[in-house]
Amino acid sequence: MIYLWVMNIILVVAAVLLIGLLKGVLDAAKSIPPTVDAIAGVGAAISKDLDAVVVLLTTQNYISQIVGSVANYGGSLDVALPDA
Amino acid sequence: METVFVAPIAFMSLAVFVMLVLITAIIAALALFLGATIVQLVKINRGLAIVIGAVGEIVAKTAPVNGVLDAINSNLVLGRNLLENLFLKKGGDDCGGLVESVFPGEGAKFLQRVGRRGPVVNTGTVYTRGVVILASLGRGAPIGAAHAKGPAVRDAQYSTTAASMLYPRPGGDPKARPKSPVVGSNAPQKYEATATPGVRPTLRDGSPAPEPSAAPDMPMGRSASPEPSGRVEIRQPDSAAAAPAPNRLNVKGKRPWER
Repeated sequence: MIYLWVMNIILVVAAVLLIGLLKGVLDAAKSIPPTVDAIAGVGAAISKDLDAVVVLLTTQNYISQIVGSVANYGGSLDVALPDA
Repeated sequence: METVFVAPIAFMSLAVFVMLVLITAIIAALALFLGATIVQLVKINRGLAIVIGAVGEIVAKTAPVNGVLDAINSNLVLGRNLLENLFLKKGGDDCGGLVESVFPGEGAKFLQRVGRRGPVVNTGTVYTRGVVILASLGRGAPIGAAHAKGPAVRDAQYSTTAASMLYPRPGGDPKARPKSPVVGSNAPQKYEATATPGVRPTLRDGSPAPEPSAAPDMPMGRSASPEPSGRVEIRQPDSAAAAPAPNRLNVKGKRPWER
């Protein structure tokens, strides 16, 4: 009979520990959704900000034209100025 | 009712009953907390689904950035190399000093980057603008070799005087230079006056020029017969006609007054 009461005490202690651990897991799980929602908002904002990335193609075209003009200008300077 | 709740206790001891109650409580707590955790995990899953959509958009929009930036960078590097090579070609040993004059402290770095060595003399400090222009125009002048070792060639008030001192005799010794040609009645070299403009009585070697031929020299490809046939005849050029006339001074044909 004494063993049964010892087992009961052990079960009580185990129940307290188990409830504490489960409460910790539940609190951690509850803290994740607000963070995920915030990340989703930031991701949407980043995606909206990246709409201007397409302008880089125009910039690339302009850079190519500018380098071509610089090359022509350098060729003219090469002819116009004497070498050192 | 009393028989329903009292009966289990009557059939088992109190310790066993307490154990069963504890086990039941533990199972109930497990179910409660695990159920709540599952609900939170479902919420997390939904939130991550939204995040993944936004992240996918970010990835799609930033995918061409690397290629575009690489292309822009390569174009800019090409332009920089072109200008630097042109600068090295035109500036020569003074390129470091020119960079130093525009960007103080960058002349040595520029020389190190392009793989050159030598002292970096700030051209903007050493020379005035006029001296630099004259130095660039007069290649081989002593200013190109003196500025690296000697004192600064600079006169803040009389910079043009300093430049003229660098080139005391432009063109060499004035006595050795040929004089300017004299024109007019007192000219030392006089040309014969011509009474018949366009007719040259003597050739360049002094011999008398031959009389101009009366028959006009017909251009090649036309008939020289006085009787026109009414049709264009194409004849083969003969060697005698193709050879230049002895009195022919213009390779393109006789002059208009000689025809």
